[in-house]
Order: sequence, then structure tokens, then C-alpha cells
Amino acid sequence: MPLEAPARIVSELTSRGYNAEREAVTRLAAAEDPNATLERVLEEIPDDALVVRTEHVAAALSTAGGASTDAAADASAGSGSGADAAVGDDTTAADSTPSVSTGTARDEGNESTTHSPVETEGSAPAGRSADPAQRSLEIVGDMTGQSTGTGEYGDFVSVFRDRLDRLGAKLRGRINHRPATAIQSMPGGSEVAMVGLVNDIRSTASGHWLVELEDATGTFPWLVMKDREYVDLVDELLCDEVLAMEGTLADDSGIAFVDSMHFPDVPRTHEPSTADRHVQAALISDVHVGSQEFMADAWNAFADWLHTPEAQHVEYLLLAGDMVEGVGVYPDQDEELDIVDIYEQYEAFSEHLKKIPGNIEIVMIPGNHDAVRLAEPQPGFDEELREIMSAHDPQIVSNPSMVTVEGVSVLMYHGVSLDEVIAELPESKASYDDPHKAMYHLLKKRHVAPQFGGHTRLAPEEKDYLVIDEVPDIFHTGHVHKLGFGKYHDVLAINSGCWQAQTDFQKSVNIDPDAGFAPIVDLDTLDVTVQKFS
Amino acid sequence: MRTEDEQYFQGLEAELEAAFDVAERAKERGGDPKPEVEIPVAQDMADRVENILGIDGVAERVRELEGQMSREEAALELAEDFAEGRVGDYETKAGKVEGAVRTAVALLTEGVVAAPIEGIDKVEILTNDDGTEFVNVYYAGPIRSAGGTAQALSVLVADYTRALVGIEQYNARQEEVERYAEEIALYDKETGLQYTPKAKEAKFIAKHLPIMLDGEATGDEEVSGFRDLERVDTNSARGGMCLVLGEGIALKAPKIQRYTRNLDEVDWPWLQDLIDGNYYDDEEADADADQDDATDETAEADPAETDDGDADGDEPTGPPRVDESTKFLRDLIAGRPVFSHPCAAGGFRLRYGRARNHGFATAGVHPAAMHLVDDFLATGTQIKTERPGKAAGVVPVDSLEGPTVKLANGDVRRIDDPEDALEIRNGVEKILDLGEYLVNYGEFVENNHPLAPASYTYEWWVQDLEAAGADVQALEDDPRIDLEFPDPEEALEWALEYDAPLHPEYTSLWHDVSVDAIRTLADAVDGGRIEGDPDGDATLVLDYTEPVRDALETIVLEHRQRPDEGRIEIDDWRPFVRTVGCEPRQAVADGATLEPDGREAAVELERTWSDDDLSERARTWGHDEDGDNAIEAINEVAPFRVRERAPTRIGNRMGRPEKSERRDLSPPVHTLFPIGEAGGAQRNVADAAKHAETMSDTPGVVELQIGRQRCDSCGTETFKNRCPDCTTRTTPDYRCPDCEQRLEPDEAGRVECDRCEREGTCVEIREIDVHEEYRDALESVGERENAFEILKGVKGLSSRNKVPEPIEKGILRAKHDVSSFKDGTVRYDMTDLPVTSVRASELDIDVGQLQALGYEEDIHGEALIHEDQLVELKVQDIVLSDGAAEHMLQTAAFIDDLLEQYYGLEPYYEFEERQDLVGELVFGMAPHTSAATVGRVIGFTSAAVGYAHPYFHAAKRRNCDGDEDCVMLLLDGLLNFSKSFLPDQRGGKMDAPLVMSSRIDPSEIDDEAHNMDVVSEYPREFYLATREQADPEAVDVEIAEDTLGTDTEYTGFEHTHDTTDIAMGPDLSAYKTLGSMMDKMDAQLELSRKLAAVDETDVAERVIEYHFLPDLIGNLRAFSRQETRCLDCGEKFRRMPLTGDCRECGGRVNLTVHKGSVNKYMQTAIQVADEYDCRDYTKQRLEVLERSLESIFENDKNKQSGIEDFM
Repeated sequence: MPLEAPARIVSELTSRGYNAEREAVTRLAAAEDPNATLERVLEEIPDDALVVRTEHVAAALSTAGGASTDAAADASAGSGSGADAAVGDDTTAADSTPSVSTGTARDEGNESTTHSPVETEGSAPAGRSADPAQRSLEIVGDMTGQSTGTGEYGDFVSVFRDRLDRLGAKLRGRINHRPATAIQSMPGGSEVAMVGLVNDIRSTASGHWLVELEDATGTFPWLVMKDREYVDLVDELLCDEVLAMEGTLADDSGIAFVDSMHFPDVPRTHEPSTADRHVQAALISDVHVGSQEFMADAWNAFADWLHTPEAQHVEYLLLAGDMVEGVGVYPDQDEELDIVDIYEQYEAFSEHLKKIPGNIEIVMIPGNHDAVRLAEPQPGFDEELREIMSAHDPQIVSNPSMVTVEGVSVLMYHGVSLDEVIAELPESKASYDDPHKAMYHLLKKRHVAPQFGGHTRLAPEEKDYLVIDEVPDIFHTGHVHKLGFGKYHDVLAINSGCWQAQTDFQKSVNIDPDAGFAPIVDLDTLDVTVQKFS
Repeated sequence: MRTEDEQYFQGLEAELEAAFDVAERAKERGGDPKPEVEIPVAQDMADRVENILGIDGVAERVRELEGQMSREEAALELAEDFAEGRVGDYETKAGKVEGAVRTAVALLTEGVVAAPIEGIDKVEILTNDDGTEFVNVYYAGPIRSAGGTAQALSVLVADYTRALVGIEQYNARQEEVERYAEEIALYDKETGLQYTPKAKEAKFIAKHLPIMLDGEATGDEEVSGFRDLERVDTNSARGGMCLVLGEGIALKAPKIQRYTRNLDEVDWPWLQDLIDGNYYDDEEADADADQDDATDETAEADPAETDDGDADGDEPTGPPRVDESTKFLRDLIAGRPVFSHPCAAGGFRLRYGRARNHGFATAGVHPAAMHLVDDFLATGTQIKTERPGKAAGVVPVDSLEGPTVKLANGDVRRIDDPEDALEIRNGVEKILDLGEYLVNYGEFVENNHPLAPASYTYEWWVQDLEAAGADVQALEDDPRIDLEFPDPEEALEWALEYDAPLHPEYTSLWHDVSVDAIRTLADAVDGGRIEGDPDGDATLVLDYTEPVRDALETIVLEHRQRPDEGRIEIDDWRPFVRTVGCEPRQAVADGATLEPDGREAAVELERTWSDDDLSERARTWGHDEDGDNAIEAINEVAPFRVRERAPTRIGNRMGRPEKSERRDLSPPVHTLFPIGEAGGAQRNVADAAKHAETMSDTPGVVELQIGRQRCDSCGTETFKNRCPDCTTRTTPDYRCPDCEQRLEPDEAGRVECDRCEREGTCVEIREIDVHEEYRDALESVGERENAFEILKGVKGLSSRNKVPEPIEKGILRAKHDVSSFKDGTVRYDMTDLPVTSVRASELDIDVGQLQALGYEEDIHGEALIHEDQLVELKVQDIVLSDGAAEHMLQTAAFIDDLLEQYYGLEPYYEFEERQDLVGELVFGMAPHTSAATVGRVIGFTSAAVGYAHPYFHAAKRRNCDGDEDCVMLLLDGLLNFSKSFLPDQRGGKMDAPLVMSSRIDPSEIDDEAHNMDVVSEYPREFYLATREQADPEAVDVEIAEDTLGTDTEYTGFEHTHDTTDIAMGPDLSAYKTLGSMMDKMDAQLELSRKLAAVDETDVAERVIEYHFLPDLIGNLRAFSRQETRCLDCGEKFRRMPLTGDCRECGGRVNLTVHKGSVNKYMQTAIQVADEYDCRDYTKQRLEVLERSLESIFENDKNKQSGIEDFM
């Protein structure tokens, strides 16, 4: 089946403000005179409908033909090649109806008939039915509308205490922990253990490392000797992450020598859940509509592809932030914007979103370019912006959020902290070329943005929404515009690429983005395939 | 040198010597770190260079070379000396290179600035990938003060010396090359560079540099691309390196090339490519080069053709105009108004000339204009300007034409008197024109800016008149004629009689109105009538219409608008009427012929031209669009020639306010004696003397880091410079921190333990009884505690050996309410302004005082008798602001007490009133420099600035574009300065008088001052050349440079414009008198509405863009990643402690950035954006931010709810 026909229909529909289910488009494309049928569908569609559904097409076809309601019903049930034939019948019938279309439409219709013998290929529309009953989508940890912090000192303290409590709970069972103040008063030479936030990391004059751990009672210094095998781990430490240390107290009890370190980590026993059926999700991010570098062609190719049979199992689209390029993200940004008005950027984004088949479920979180607060956690968009993007009815949740799709939990986080992980850790452990490896560290620390005071900004809330409480099956981020995926303790980490070509700024700092890729995850196996559209 | 100059300098030096003697005697007795004066006198540059570097033999060699070659060549010659070991005592190759580079920089900066010692950290030898050695020069931030040329040449000298001592070239690795490019871009973003090479250019330079440029990290932001390089220590931007590569090599390539050509050992063939811009890959480069050549040729050919075309056809279609430049509007700050948008009509009109208080990066403005811009401009206020330079200091010049305003009552008046300005100020509705703006020729030379078309002014007109054949001398001598401000009849008569253009006083700004507008005006005049006696004070009355009103406002003609009566009245109407091509005709009323006394005689006005009379050229004459400039049409319809009155307008905005303030550290310090935390936040010594940490501690005993001294005769250990037991002078007691071995410093002053290979130190933590020290000091100077309010010490000492100052000095400082700078001196800061001639009357002194200072004649060579005669200022004489004089008197009283009560000598100054200060010597000392210049007080001014001879400022390496620096009383510097107090850190030696110049040698000052013009008039050719926008060098006007090295190098600074007083207009800028930032901004926006030359929306937009948004964004960012601080003990925490309370003292911890500081401007910004109709983009940015603030600072569940919540 040629790609143009569905693509053209989709763009025709979106230009008139409609979204469409994939099945509906397929049926329209398969019609003998798709344009005429389209006109008819639009004429008959209820005024309040935003999405052209299979039923609408079926209805249009049936009124046209007056004959094959059965076939239409068949088609909507998604029953393979039989439906094809029915559609074929329908279109013939449609063609013979006295059409209300104008002459031009008829002309176009005639043209398109050259495409119409598609049904001979017979494979395409098989099994595309997205039975809503089979679908499930559940959100955990969305803090949109739940921002209760008022920026007081106490709010900050609560957040960090909550972090220690929740992540500490994962460690306390493994060691015989003691509060910092209690350790100070233990006799020298004792075996001690402590759970705390990393408060400070510094090297000593003789090349050892001094890691200060802090808990709710105070701080205690732990010395990591340079010749111990785990000294390598010190390179990976970030301030304010939670970990446990075990060791021996020095004679004066002023310091402890580290024997072992424990991270909250993903248990090695972790077994990911999978979907019960063969269904796929596209994980993308960083669309940057409004930027002069936004790759509209790649995006359209992606949208078109979603309308093809090849993409028939893609029923979910997860978008990890940066829908638009935003305003005022960096100085003199207006000079590099294609669309200067922020609302128009979202309107344009919404237009691009409409090209996605209407029966694909969309979940999105904001990123640092979006018009929400920069400090994390970032709540989802406000009503005004939601209204603009309502056509496709996406789920808009906070950054980060945990989305469970047909049993598979996906932790969505935009990924600003990746910059910091990459800057702080040695290149062998985290780099822009392998963004998923940087993500592994976040999984290990069970926190999406541990370090306070650097790149990442924190908005204090009553609890630490950035803690990775439950181990996700998939961890999905974006932000760094590089594509990379891999598994860490059986958690699939995916950093999706972007839809923005290399900017001058990226050129100047030596970043070559992976633009125009869509990683597709099989939710039943957690296998990844990458589709390229640029 | 003339004998009077020699006498002057000898006089200064004799005075200096006398003070030196007193200081030497005092120092021998006191407990100062050194028993002698620590500021050596340098006779000349060679001395200064040697003193600053501390390398023996340099001065001698510099003097040898000075006569024979340029300073740059001398630097290269010295490099050879260093390489061959003839100068300097360096054993290593790196040392030799370092010595040569430092000397070169010192030489090129005349031994004044700190760059050679502070800007070059070290030179080291590293290894290339092929195993050969190369030189790495480590620059630091203060290299900035050396300027681009010296920076660039330092690289050249390093390379030259490298070649001479036999080290290979540096081969940059690819990632290092890329790093340079990224880092320079980062530094430019963070700090800003004068010139930022494009990535390609930076890489090209980096690839070809034969030595490696490296340096200290100067910023917090790190590069993200090319990190953790093996040969680059830091991931942050290295400021010194960026400056040298960008502002040095890239910007000054042509200058370096001049020297590389003459050196066989150094071959920088790539410089040519750099200059030509051929920095692409080789193949590309070839192709490009060819192309470039081709384009060059065509480019060259093109203008030639156009020129020919112009010459042949003689038909330019528009007037000569400069291009708009909006650079000065960048980074507009809230509260600092824009006075004129670029080239905007109604803005300041460029007039050429130099007033006596002008030149050297200053701008002359009429004092009435200063008042009318709501006092935002005062003497010394800095403005950022469109051209010719970037910034200028404002000086009042009342011989200019003042501003023209429209008053609420409809009068349009030109205000030439500051008093009038104050009187009518409240009634000003619109400032139609800001009046003239004086710029001297030298500014254009200095900035290498093509001359901009000159305003038609008296100076030019009178030369036109002479050229037209009039006997100007005779007219000038005629007592009935005021040639500069003639009657309208006279002006018309001259214009008609001679073939000279109409007098500027009666020339309106015809070039600002369209051809259509003059048709309107001519018609209006045709329909107008004369009221009153036509031969006496008659008034032209026109019908009131908007087009006529607008045209009259635009040409800036004085008139009265009476819209209610439907009339517009113009006095002195004849030149105007004639200029628009109308003829007044004597008509006889009623046609009656024989009325004998002609009482009914009236004047009829008749338009003598029709539209068809105008040539095509005149009708389409314009700059932006055809026919927008009526000057050609006016020339066709008027019976005489009319020149463009103000073709060049200069945009500008306020920069920094002027300054005249005492320099206090914060918190102020009376004595450099450490008291730790014991003195509380105030650092109160008296509190420290009573402080006890716990009940069991002895009050006043404080643990401090302090230098250990040892008495060589009795072995006592102390921290004092004199042994408390036997009063012998003590020496620092250095020990090895590891083995406690006592150490002696080597010749270079380094202290190292041979055994442990560690640096020795004399600093120790020691318990000091502050109470005892304080009591002893009070007793020793015989003062009681009630002699002063508070005595403030310092928390700790930052100098290397941590030598404290005797508390006695602090007690006396506190008594006289003066405070100490980090080096022990008392300073007063003032904005620099130049002045070349002064009158006794404006300096608040009498003629006798001037005569006593050696002033015998006025500028015309007449004997000095009156107080208002102008005398030419001697180069080292300075005028103090009132505040400075007051402060100097306090300092003098402190010094006298110090001499009597501490050193046991006679008082030196014994001043009773400020007149006694006249003739006293002071030090002038600029930041970033390390040499003081001796100056002599000649008088006082109410302006908040320091007026002095431009050469005096140039000797301190300052110009007058808003720069400020300080003065110190001579004996204070001599007695209280010590190098031992200087902080042991980067930049610590800056702004400290490591050496002083006793006399100014004009050849050894900042050569910017040499570009100042020194004539009393500019030739007519100059004015004509401005219309061609000629290169300034192409015009013959004498500048200071021309007299260098001659007998008259200290004299002959003539000026073209006088001013009544060097302190006119407001004494302080409104920026300083208005209270809050909001008040300032309101005033700024209010003013922008009043000024015709300002687009208020653009101002509002810029204030939001450059001030509010960065503030909001910055604070919001800071909020979400902030530090916290303990309110009780001040301890800082990177993150909020989990305990909630301070881990140190258990006190309350709080945020350092609060909601209030984040959103303080939010509502104002939104309001301004709304009120001034800003762009949607700006408004939306504010909206997004506002929502962010709400989201962070408001509880979603606690918001105001609507009624539906309760249904």
C-alpha cells in the first residue's frame, strides 16, 4: 500500500481540524474515491467530534452504499481481509452515489483512483483494531495540581528528609545502621554502619577520599582508602544521593574507614513485567516545535508511518518533554525562533500532534523548554495550554511521572540531571554518546536528580517526587538529544533522540544530536527497534 | 624643557623630599613592618619597570635602548638579553622566558599597571606528543590591564625567547584547538570580550600558535564539550588566556606582524592569513583566497565607479549621514535613562570643538540640558554613546546651544540658561531638541572613526563669511555688532550681501522636515499676518494647524502655540519667512494713497515660489526616503544659502553615575589588626577586647592566625615589628611546617626547607590578648575610648606573613573618622575629568594663591590680576571635589596626630581650613595599576569629580569616560603604606602604590592622551571634510602628539569653547539622589516619554529584557539551587541540613534567597510591559515566569477558590 494515500488523508483531516483513528484512515484510503468518501464522512460527523473514528467512516460508507452495514461492522471489528473486500465493495458503491462533492473534489477523486486498487495487496489493515477494552494506562506520582510547597526553608528540609527516609528504608535492612551522632560516641575500632545523604566528597592530601554522610542527626566523615577496590565507586558519587557505608571506627572515633558501600539500586532479582499481548509504544521526546531547526519533514514521516500497517501495534506514544522550543530559554532566543509566540508554538505542536493517529494513546510530561516552572518536579501544563492541545486528548502529567501501560511501568523523566551526571562522572562512566549509561547511575541511586545546587533546580514539595520509589520496567528520558538504550538489572533505559536538527549552540559545544529517530518498544518483550525518519 | 616647567617639577620634588624626610624619620621610630618608606620614587619609566618587576639591571638596559628604538623593539632586545643571561639571574629556560615576557609587558605598559606581575602567573616547559619541549605561558585575569597590544606582544616575546633558548614550538592537539574555540565563546558569554574571534578564527590561531597559552580558571561555568584534557588543568574558562587570544592576537594581528617581519628567529606566516580572514582548511583556503581576490577586485572597482558616477553626474540623491549604531543601548539598566535613540531627530546635535574641561573621552553638554533631563546628567556622569567612542564623561559647557522645549502653555522655547531651565522645568511637556553635544576632533582620531557631518555653527559660519570676502576682523571689532548672536536683520543682511550661508543662529533644522512640510509652511506664511510694528517688535501670526505646528516643532523654531485662539506666534520672523521663500511686502491699507503718517501701513506676506519651481533633485532629496529632507528645496526657494544645521545626532544613554566618595572597605576598617570573630559582625576591637568564648576563658584573649617575629638580640618571640622587651626591630621567624626547622629566606625571598622540600612559613595560630594590646595602644597614643565612636579591626589578615598593623594607627584613624584600605592608606575616590585651563573664581581660591603656585600669566599672556582670568593648568595640578577636600582635611588631622602621638614628631600639616590644602601634594592612584602619581592640589569644585590635567589622568592610565580612581594624602601614603599588608592572592598587588612617579613625562603616559587636540579653532577645511566623512587623520588639526619631546610639551593646550564654570548643572545625578530602584525607573520611563528623541516602548522593552528578566530568571534559578546560612553563626551550608538546625551552633538556619528577592520585580515588570505596550514575546516571557513563581511559591490546594467550590 502506497504511503501517500493515508498521509494525504491525514493531512487533509488535520487541516480541517480533525484527528483520526488509524483504522478510519485506512478505510478511507482504501475507499475507491477516498476524497468523496472523506467529504461525506466530514459532512456526517457529529459537530462535537474531534476525532474521525472508524464508525464514522463506516457510517459514511454505509449511507453511501446503503448496502453493507454488515461489512462496515465487520470492518470495525477488524477482521482481516474479509473487511478489505467489504471496503472494496463499499467504495464501489460510494463512487456511484450522487456525491455532494464539488468538481475539484471529484477530480482529485479521479486521480486517487490510481491508488485505489490497494486491496489487491491485501495485507495492510489486518488486526489494527485498537480495542479500548484491552488497553490499560495508569499514572502514578503525577503531582500536577498537588504542588503544596511555598518555598519556605522548612519545605526544603522536608524534601531531603523524605528522600533519606524512603531511600534509606531500602538500605536499612541490609546493614546495622547507626545515627551519625551515635557513631561519634562509639569506642574506637568498632564496626559501624550508617545510612545517609552524601554531604561532601573531597580528596585528602594523601590521595584518599573523604565522604561525609549526613542523616537526621548530623554528619559523619567516612574515609575511602585509595588502594581499596571500591575506590572506583567514589567517582560515581554525587552529592545528596542516599547510600550506606560500613566500616571501622578510627581510634579517636572521629572518622570511619570504609569497608563497603551500598546503594539503594535496582535489585538484581528484578524481573520486569510485560504486556499480555503484542502491543508497542513509541518513546520520543524533544520535539521543539517553533524552533527554526524543528524537523517538520521527519515528524510528518513519523506520523505517516504510524498510519501504516507496519506501525499497527503502536498503540501508545510517550513524550518525555520539550514539546516546543519555548520563549526566553536562552538570551536572544527570539532571533532563532520560527514561531515567536509561545501559544502559537503550542498550537503548532497541537497541529503536529493531530497527525498522530487518533487511536494512539499519548502521555506527555513537560521539559525545560516548556512553559511550566523549570524547577523539578515540574507540574503538567496549565489549563490554558491543555486547552490548546486538547484535540488529541493526550494525558499530560508531571515530570517525572510513572506511567503503567498494559502492566509495563515506564518512569518518564525529562532528563535535565543527565547533564550533571555526565559533567560530574568520568567520561568512561557517563557521556553524551551513551546517554543510557548515565541513566543507569540514576537507577542505581534510585533518584532522578540527586545533586542539589548544580544544574538541576529543585522546587521543594512536601515529599521528594524525584525519588524512584518503585523499580520501573522502563526508564524513559530525553533532554540530551542523543539516542541510546540498554538494560540495567533488566530495567530498560531509553534516552530518546529529538526532532530538532543541530543548533548553532550545539555545534559550538560539539554535540551532534540524534534527530528524527523513534525508538519503538515491544511491550510484551521489552525489545526495542529504532525507526529512522530523517 | 622650559625653565618654568623645570622649576615647577623641582618645586614638586622639593616638597616631596621634605615629606619623605619626615616620613623616614617617623618610620625609624615606629613599629611599622619596615623601618623605611616603602614607596620608592621612580624618576622615569625605566625605574618604574625595574621597581615593579624587581629584576635588577632592567632600568639601566631600558635607558640604554630607549633613545635608539621603539619600546616594542626594546622589549625584543631585552628578550635577547634574558635569553643570553645578560639581564636577570635565571637558571632555567622557563625562567628566562618568564623574565623576558614580564619585562616586555612592563615595558609596554610603562611600568604602571599590575599586569606584568599579576597577569602572568608562570611560564613552564611541557612536552609535545613527539617528545620535544614547548613553552606554556600561564596568564591570569589581571593581564586585562595590559591592553591588547601588550598582550599580543607578550606572546611574540615568549616565542622569540623560546627560539633563542632553543625550545621547540607547541603542537596543539586537535581537542586542545577545539577547546580554545569553545572556551572563548564561553568566556565571552560569561564575562564578555571586546572582540570575540569566531570559532574558526580561534581554532586557526590556536592551531598555529608556537607557544601554548594557558591560565587560571576565572569563572564558574565549565565547558561542556572538550573537558578533562591532559594538558589543560581546568574545565572552566581561563580568562587571561581568552583575553590574550581574543583581544590580543586576534585583534592586534596587524600590529604584531610589524614586528615578526623584522625577526629572523620568529616566523608567523599565518598572521597574514589571519589578517586577511583566510582561515579555512587549506584547499578551501586556496579557493577562497582566489574568490576573495576576485571579490576584492570587484569590491574595489565598485566604489570607484560609483565615485566616478557621482563626480560626473554630481548628483548624490541624499545628504551625507552616519549610520545608526544601536550598540550603546545594549544592557540597558533600570533607572539609567536613554537620552536619545540612535541618530534620532530631537537628540543631541554633534558640534565639534574642545572646551577647556573637555577632551579625552568626554562629551560637552549644555548645563540647561542636564537640568531638563530631570537632573539625570551631572558633571562626571558617564554616558554610553553612539559615537565616536563607546562611553564618555559628561562635562558642562554653556557656550553651546541649549535644549528646546515645549511648555504646557504652548510656548516653544530654547533654554540657554541653566537658571531658566530650573524655573520652567515643571512646565515642560516635551523636549523637542536636547541642544548641542560637544565632541573634540581628537576623539575621532583616538577612535579612528570617520568624521561625522558637522553641525553648522558659529565657528564654521564665521570662516564661511571670511571666505566669502567679508572683513570679519572689522565686524568683530565693531562694538555694535555681536557676530555670534546678531540681530535677525544683520544676519539677513550678511547672508544677502555676501555669498555666505545664513547665520546658524537663524538656521532652522530644515533637514528634519519633508519637502511637503515646507510647502505647508510656505502656504501658512503666505496666509499669515504681521502684528505689531513691522520695524520693531512685530510678530508673525499663523493659523494653528497640526501640520504647521509639527513642522515648526521639528525644525526647532521658537514660537508660541495658542490652539484655543487658533494661532501660532513667531517672533524674529524675518529670517524664517525669507528662508521658506516668502517675501514681506509693505502694503498700504485701503489702497488709500495719501495718508501722510502711514499708520495703516501693514506687511503682507507672499509665497514667491510654486511647486513646479522645485527641481526634481530637491523634491526627491532624502536619506531614508525620497523627499524627507527639505534642505535642497529650501536652498532653491531661499534667497541665500542655507546649510544643514544639525546633520549628525548622537544617541546616548546614562552609564555609571559620577562618583566622589571615600573608599571604605566593607565593613570599614580602621586598623589592619585581626580580631577574628571576637569583634562580632561589626569587627569592633573594643568588643573583641571583652569577648570570652566561655566562662572559663580570659576575656579578650583570642586565637588568631598571625605572623611570628623574632627579636634577634634577645630572642623574644612576638608578632610585633619591634621587640616588646628590648625594642629592637624583629624579623619574621620562618619555620618548616613539617620539621619545625628554623629557616632563612633566600635572595629571591623564597623560604624553603631543604630537607622536607616544603615552603616555610612564619604564620602560626596564637593566642593574642586583644584587651591588653588595645589598652596599651590607647595609652601609648594618649587617647581615651571616648575619642571615637567605634574602632573596627579585621577578621583576619590575608597577607602572606600576616603582619598586623599597630593598633595605635587605627585609634587615631577612628578618632578622625577615616578608614583604611587593604594596604594601610586612606583613600578618596573621584570620577576623572580633564581640565586644561582654570580660573581662580571657580576653584574657590584667590589670585594670590594661584600666584604662589607659580601661575603668573593668563592664557593670553596677560598678567594675572583678576579671579576670572583663565590660566593654563600645570600637568600635575588637580582640583578636589568638596567631599575630597573635607576628607583630606580629616586625613591631614589624622597624620598630624599620628606624627605627634605615635611617632613623637612635630605635626606636618596643621591645617585649619580647606584653603590650607592648596599647594599640598597627594598621590593619584588608579585601580589595576601599581604606580602612584604625585599631584598638587590647586583648588576645589562643587562637582562630584576630580578635575585634573588630561596628562595626569593618562599617567595613571585612565581616560575620562567615566573612569574613577583615588587620591591619597602624600604623607599618609609614605607613612602607612606597606607591601606587607597586601593580600597574598591574585590581584593583591593591584591598586597598591608599589612605586611612585614624581614627575610626568608626556612620552611615558597612556598615548590616548596624545590624540587630544590643542587648538583654539578648527579650520574651515575641517568642517568641509566632515561632510565628506573623511578619515580624521586626513585633516590637519594639531594634537598633543605633535609637541611631544619638544620644549612646549607641557603647555599650549588651547581650547575652542569656554565654559563659565567647570561645575554647572546639577551637582549630583538624579540617579544618586532618587531613592529606590523603582523611583529611578519611574523617572527613567517618565523622561523617555518627554524626550522627542526617545522611543519609550523600546526603553521599556530593554529595561525588561536586560534588567528585570535577568534579575527574575537569575534569582529564580538561584532560589532552586541555593545555599543556606545560619542566622546565628553565619555558617554556610551547600544544602539544607537534615537536622534543620545549624550543625555548628544549633542556631536557626534560613534560606539565602527568599521569595521576596525572587519576585520583587515581577509585578512591576508586568505593569511596565503593559503600560508601554511591549512585544508579545516579552509579555509572554513574563507570563511564563509569573506562573513559575506561582507554582513554586503558592500552594495549589490553598488558592483562592471560586464560588463553584462551595456548591
